[in-house]
Amino acid sequence: MKKIIIILLALLVAGIVLSAQEITGLQIVENVYNRPTGNDQTADLTMSLVNSRGDERVRIISQFLKDFGDLEKKIMFFVSPADVYNTSFMNWSYDEVGKDDDQWIYLPAMKRVKRISSDSKSDYFMGSDFTYDDLGDRHPSADVHKLLREEEIDGEMCYVVESNPKEEEYIYSKTITWIMKDNWIGKKKEFYDEDDELLKTLTVKESVTFDEVIIITLSQMHNVQSDHKTIMKLENVEIDTGVADNKFTERMMKRGM
Amino acid sequence: MKRKNIIVFLLLTATIMLNAQIIHHGFVRTYIGALTDQDGEYSVLQNTFDWKLDYGKDDVALYVNPVFDYNALNNNLDISLRQAYMDIYFDNFDLRIGKQQIIWGKADGVFITDVISPRNLSEFILPEFEEIRIGTNAVKFDYYMGNSTIEAVWMPTFQATITPDENSIWSPKMMEFPMPVNFDYSKASVEQKLSESEIALKYSYLGSAIDFELMAAYMWDDNPAMHIFLQPDSTLLIKPEFHRLPLVGASFGKSFLGAVIREEAAYYFNKRFATEDLTFNGVKDKDYLHYLVGYDHNWFGVNVSLQFIQEYILDYENDIRNEEFSNTATLLSSKTFLNETLELSLLAYYGINNEDLLLRPKSSYDLSDGFNLILGSDIFLGEEGNFGQYNNNDMVYVKVRYDF
Repeated sequence: MKKIIIILLALLVAGIVLSAQEITGLQIVENVYNRPTGNDQTADLTMSLVNSRGDERVRIISQFLKDFGDLEKKIMFFVSPADVYNTSFMNWSYDEVGKDDDQWIYLPAMKRVKRISSDSKSDYFMGSDFTYDDLGDRHPSADVHKLLREEEIDGEMCYVVESNPKEEEYIYSKTITWIMKDNWIGKKKEFYDEDDELLKTLTVKESVTFDEVIIITLSQMHNVQSDHKTIMKLENVEIDTGVADNKFTERMMKRGM
Repeated sequence: MKRKNIIVFLLLTATIMLNAQIIHHGFVRTYIGALTDQDGEYSVLQNTFDWKLDYGKDDVALYVNPVFDYNALNNNLDISLRQAYMDIYFDNFDLRIGKQQIIWGKADGVFITDVISPRNLSEFILPEFEEIRIGTNAVKFDYYMGNSTIEAVWMPTFQATITPDENSIWSPKMMEFPMPVNFDYSKASVEQKLSESEIALKYSYLGSAIDFELMAAYMWDDNPAMHIFLQPDSTLLIKPEFHRLPLVGASFGKSFLGAVIREEAAYYFNKRFATEDLTFNGVKDKDYLHYLVGYDHNWFGVNVSLQFIQEYILDYENDIRNEEFSNTATLLSSKTFLNETLELSLLAYYGINNEDLLLRPKSSYDLSDGFNLILGSDIFLGEEGNFGQYNNNDMVYVKVRYDF
């Protein structure tokens, strides 16, 4: 009996010690990565590009996403400005580590769907302050993550995680992300250039919740070096409406919305 | 002129009737070009209104693309329909009926399996490719099976390549003959009847591992063969004549280490080639292979696309005027600046056989959304060949374009 009590006490102490252990940076980023996003999503995306003089340019896109298990397909139809009207872009991204995305573009003037190089993830998307990489889901295993601290922003308690890329040629030397503790949504993210100087700050301003799914609907990326901003707004968001599999085909790229 | 008025009237009437549902877009452009080797003589003074009208209801869509071109050099207004067609959508297949541009293959700026829509080469290959391709009257049927598509095209009428006027600076160098020549154009057209129509079939697949196309076509050669007859009075009679041109082809595009590799090939059966041998009336039939390999990559934010193109005449004979192998290389590189408001690009064609070159540097700046200013130049180097023959036609140009 005495032996049993000792074992139980030992287990209790071990449990207390384990629960008191801090969550790691990797676990936090994995929680963000594995956050439920729904099986499919449709939305209208408006990007307002504002330069340092306050001049504004607006891009409007209609987009559809669908999760196919280990593959996510996304198709975007460009509505505005007029010179890109009816252009479409399709991206297939894979959970498999190291597997490059497949990307195609359809230009109405060329009337042909063209496969494009996916090695241009550091390129900026439609002249905005978001790179293609910023818009995608970067796999947690691509970086080394370190929990720096916990702090409050706008009344939200956040984990602050520094992520250093494993690849040498990555566009950013590091990123620092403020992740809200109660819903695993990034609240703010800083991007540092190759000289370790702050390049851009992403601020999440609004989100909507559909059951368990949280969608960021308003965010701003500010390039602090050029003082250029991109405000990204999602409207008419719908989740799990049963977007057809054939939405993500050459046929639809040519046909448009 | 009466016909043009009727077209405009019909377009305006249709627009008013359907205005509520019609989507209008297009552009207005002013294009001024001057020849640098000829004291800045204008080679282009053109104003274009390219109007695109979309109408869709349920499973039917209409598309009309009238183009109004005013050429200030000869005070001529040219009105044309680049495309005018209807789409009918079904669950697994679509039909497109009418005048349409049909583009096949994986090549950029080179026509290998892309032979369905004829070309307007009246200004060589300098206009935008959308403007080089002529809409062809066709019925196009697309059947979809997952990521695969079978496309069948029937073209009831034949449209030849539009070549530059005899007096145009883009008129190609003519063959030289040792004696006077006369022309007989009695066979220089194809009859408009069912038996003379063209057909083409394509299977295409788009997937993660690869995109590819297989095609076969029973076409007319877009360029006539020049049959030459020696006359009793020691002159030559030249009879241009169009001939059937069956071909098969394939193309693919594949991602490879972050780049894209492209390949495209067409095998033409019994294509007519000009020969110096008059016992064959100056024309011999040979099978012909035309292929390309391409490589697209992004290096440090610069998009680079390289292509090598080879044309090979099989069972070659030395009296054929074309060379057995003709090799061309192309380079397209571009980079954007200032949040994509400024783009600098260079397109180069290098004729390897004749060591001739066409260089097309261009800078494009967005003054605001849809309002674009382009400054560019077309520079021809070499003495002969596809590009060298135009070495007096170096040009600088400006284009101002507003998209709506």
